Amino acid sequence: MTTAVTERTAPAPLPAAPVDTPRQRARKEAAALAELRRPVRGATMLAVVAAALGAVAGLVPFIGLAQLATQLLAPPVDGGAVLLTVWLIVAGLGLRGLLLGTALAITHFADVRLQAILRRRITAHLGKLPLGWFSENSSGRVRKVAQNDITELHHLVAHHSVEMTAAIVLPVGGLLYVFSLDWRLGLLAIGTLPFYAAAYAWMMRGYQEKMDQMNTGYARISAAIVEFVSGIAVVKAYGRARRSHAAYRSAADDFGSFYSDWVRPMLTIEAIASMALSAPIVAVLSLGGSIWFVAQGWVTPIEAMTEVLIAMVIPTTVLAMSFGAQARRTAASAALRIVELLETPELPVAAQPKLPEGNRVELDGVRFSYDGTTDVLHDISLVLEPGTITALVGPSGSGKSTLATLVPRFHDVTAGAVRIGGVDVRQIAPDELYRRVGFVLQDVQLLRGTVADNIRLGRPDATDDEILAAARAAQIHDRITKLPGGYTAVIGEEALFSGGEAQRVSIARALLADTPVLVLDEATAFADPESEAAIQDALSTLAAGRTVLVIAHRLTTITGVDRIVVLDGGEIVEQGTHEQLSAADGRYARMWAVHEGGAR
Amino acid sequence: MIQDLLRIMGQEHRRSLIGYFVWCVAYAVLQGVAMVMIVPVLQDLLAGDIGGALAWLSVLVCAALFACIAHYVQAMRGFEVALTVLSSMHHQMGDHVVGLPLGWFSSEKIGRLSQTLTSGTMMIGGLFAHLLTPLVTGIVTPATIAVAMFFFDWRLAAAVIICSPVLYLAFRWSASLVGRGDELTDAAAVEAGNRVVEFARCQLALRAFGRGVEGYQPLEDAIEGQRIVGRRSLWMAVPGLIAGGFAAQLAFTVLIAVGVLLALGGSVDTVQVIALLALSARFTGPLSEVAEFAGALRMGRNDVRRMARILAEQPLPEPAEAVVVSARGEIELDGVTFGYEPGRPVLRDVSLRVPPRTMTALVGASGSGKTTVTRLIARFWDVDSGTVRVGGADVRDLTTDALMAQVAMVFQDVYLFDDTLEANIRVGRADATDAEVRKAGRLAGVQEIVERLPAGWATRVGEGGTSLSGGERQRVSVARAILKDAPIVLLDEATAALDPENERFVQDALRTLQSRSTLLVIAHKLPTVVAADQIVVLDDGGIVEHGTHGELLAADGRYAEFWRERSRARGWRLAAENRPRERTES
Repeated sequence: MTTAVTERTAPAPLPAAPVDTPRQRARKEAAALAELRRPVRGATMLAVVAAALGAVAGLVPFIGLAQLATQLLAPPVDGGAVLLTVWLIVAGLGLRGLLLGTALAITHFADVRLQAILRRRITAHLGKLPLGWFSENSSGRVRKVAQNDITELHHLVAHHSVEMTAAIVLPVGGLLYVFSLDWRLGLLAIGTLPFYAAAYAWMMRGYQEKMDQMNTGYARISAAIVEFVSGIAVVKAYGRARRSHAAYRSAADDFGSFYSDWVRPMLTIEAIASMALSAPIVAVLSLGGSIWFVAQGWVTPIEAMTEVLIAMVIPTTVLAMSFGAQARRTAASAALRIVELLETPELPVAAQPKLPEGNRVELDGVRFSYDGTTDVLHDISLVLEPGTITALVGPSGSGKSTLATLVPRFHDVTAGAVRIGGVDVRQIAPDELYRRVGFVLQDVQLLRGTVADNIRLGRPDATDDEILAAARAAQIHDRITKLPGGYTAVIGEEALFSGGEAQRVSIARALLADTPVLVLDEATAFADPESEAAIQDALSTLAAGRTVLVIAHRLTTITGVDRIVVLDGGEIVEQGTHEQLSAADGRYARMWAVHEGGAR
Repeated sequence: MIQDLLRIMGQEHRRSLIGYFVWCVAYAVLQGVAMVMIVPVLQDLLAGDIGGALAWLSVLVCAALFACIAHYVQAMRGFEVALTVLSSMHHQMGDHVVGLPLGWFSSEKIGRLSQTLTSGTMMIGGLFAHLLTPLVTGIVTPATIAVAMFFFDWRLAAAVIICSPVLYLAFRWSASLVGRGDELTDAAAVEAGNRVVEFARCQLALRAFGRGVEGYQPLEDAIEGQRIVGRRSLWMAVPGLIAGGFAAQLAFTVLIAVGVLLALGGSVDTVQVIALLALSARFTGPLSEVAEFAGALRMGRNDVRRMARILAEQPLPEPAEAVVVSARGEIELDGVTFGYEPGRPVLRDVSLRVPPRTMTALVGASGSGKTTVTRLIARFWDVDSGTVRVGGADVRDLTTDALMAQVAMVFQDVYLFDDTLEANIRVGRADATDAEVRKAGRLAGVQEIVERLPAGWATRVGEGGTSLSGGERQRVSVARAILKDAPIVLLDEATAALDPENERFVQDALRTLQSRSTLLVIAHKLPTVVAADQIVVLDDGGIVEHGTHGELLAADGRYAEFWRERSRARGWRLAAENRPRERTES
């Protein structure tokens, strides 16, 4: 999207959005997650039920073991009853495995489905955004959202609900059972939890703040790394490698020491707190308590043993829950980014589109601003008659590229109107608009597909002969026939084109699409010095007989056009033919003099 | 993997890594021992022997205490190792990368390297913080318990030992199925990701040709493909996961069957069986988690391997002391043959001499080897045969500093630091005065950019110079070269769209450089070519013609053809000649 980027007036960043408080942000994230997960809500519910049942089945072995102990320790031993208990234990285990497995399978399949749904939503939305959005947002951002962020949801959708359900139901069910045996045993089973909870709460004090600091530090070191690595060729070439290297090292050290200062005290507490949940400590407390209770005659030894078994399961689930919370946080911020993209305003489309009559292009009192405050174009009025060529000239930053891109509606005007065939472009249905307005810009966009498919992009029903004719007219036919697969060679794989060749393929595409109005960037012609003349021939063929608006960089090229419009500071300062403007001895005449001087 | 880790950390940290591992294993063993102590406590308790239970409990308390200490020490050590790894990775990689030849830094490598240095290091640091300990304890603690069982009843212990290879095989099988599924989905995910990015990047073209609204079939196919492959890989993984899960269940079932049979037969203490079964019930769980940890570990291993691979790259050999430059400003290629891949030479037997303070233009089609010639002079790579001499010295006999003191480069892909314009020019010579910086800026046409910018010379140019246009970036790069004032300047003229102003500034700057340095220019513009003292025409890796503009035109060879074609291009006029072709559209 070179058009907007090469302009001096690259869009200023949007006014910074008001910063959310952590709580507002958390609420937004939760809403975003719920919204995105809606298509798989049914499946998730089903999985949660299965997981809960599985967790309950998981309790059976523990209770069964207690039962087994009772049976074995109280002679006479009833072999049949013992066998039944064993079967129950094994069945409980099996059922648990089956139900949890089913639950996970359901959520995994749901996750695959959801990913496809979200990708489709994202791409459908992208297809409706204003074209200007794509020049302001890098394709890297799109990749991050469409690929990484969706993948980050994976853990949440595919694992979180199921694992959390199991992690809650199992200990809660077990605890209820223990409490049902004896309330004192119940308390004993959760005896170490308060220590952990207190330590955890203490650890989490100011967590968000620290986390923000940490992210800032991380961003800084990432920036230092990127700069160090990307700039290394330059610094080496100028013998400054050591210095830049030092800057990088100090950024790395700063980050390391910050990270260490922050994490170390937390880790000390964590290491101690997590002991409260470690199997040996829980065993000590449970057994100690049990011995006391048994000695006091409050509980039977077998009840005590059951408590020990269940108490030792509880810690693993607490740890699972704190891991789960972390995963949820990651997924929530990913969800927010996805929703933010999905909520970017679409380019408004007229409810009742009108059909243009003819191909006269009219700019009427057009004002335009990227950021809403500084106007890039002020009150431009201009008419492009069918079949004429109009050239826009002016220094960098004069607004000529911006003006040209308003015709194919990359952006909507701030005031005034752009009309084609008497109808405001905002009132024309998008596909109708693009049937009429084509463009060939510096930024060639070839798709990874066959050469033929790329040329027929605008007219999928074009015959092979038509494709060949377009390629011939665009001076690229000979090059294509030399490719290993000819027209069926895949671009980017078998067909590796130079800049100029790619440019000619895109011209062939425009020829085949045959739009009556054409926006052209003249710089296209010198994309590739080796094939400049061939591109020029192709462009001349393309321009013939259409309503053409050309963004001109070299004045010699456009001396023969019907009208030259000189822009400066977003206003039209002069217009006329080359002869008229040269004679007028104004801005254009001065530019011409500079140009001639430079070219010599 | 451990080998790679040790290499990344450097040998001096070897001991701390081993120390961590030792403590980690100690913790796992102590935890196992503490767990085993539960058995006699329960045994006495169930038998009604409170005194015995208390006695064993005190043993358990001791074991638990030691386990706690070991836990604390290993956690702290693990953290220290993670920190060491993090910082030594950054340092090691930094030190190493600085020494690599310029040729190594392709844009693809640079992208990968930043990725590895930022997220890769965090990932590896995280290995120590979160993954290794659970992995080690997940394996060692149950193993300790299994071994300890021999002290209670050899038959039960034997049952466990027999089950363990089955468990191991089941987990391996499960992990390999999951891994294979992941490979499938990875490929589909990459395809879908690329298509989405393509869809966004090519939105202009797609929409212009009606595909933004109608949808774009390859993208739709890729998303659908990813969905199908995702489902297929799940179906593939399901049997493995089931097998893994059931293997753990099976082991427990075998144990309980053996135990109960023994107890029924009266050949073993019932209480002991119950207590041991209780313990096994608790510890078959962690075993199945090990499989998951192993998956995460595999991901970390890929990062480790990537990093080890970069560290294995060799810098070009350099002499300790550079030889003395005898012919300042002279460039000479003598019978140079060079290829990026073995057996596919890009330059064949190229000999070329550029006398001091002259300008030589390299012309030729893309792919003819022009860029390679300039890069060999700057020693991005070493030649396969022949010699490159700069200032009369073989570049291989010069240190990087000595060579770079001779040569300034102005290439098309100019990197600007996220700093002020002034600082970016000063990169050319750190000790230049402000006046010198501004003079260089003026000569290269940066002055004119400065006048347009809000903060003038102090304007920050954004990461990679993104806030300047291509032509403007090249002017900054030219200013650096002027400031550096090196005897030799290698310049790749911009092919990108240059405004007339831009073009004029570059031409002026060339004249400035020409007056004081030797210039070797990859020329795209006719005025540059004509101004050269010597024109060298390259074709397919060899020099086909050389001489002055006049000589070469007279020879009517390749150059003359090039000249005619370019002259024709220069005279192009865009005009609607066959108009009016009125169009009547509905």
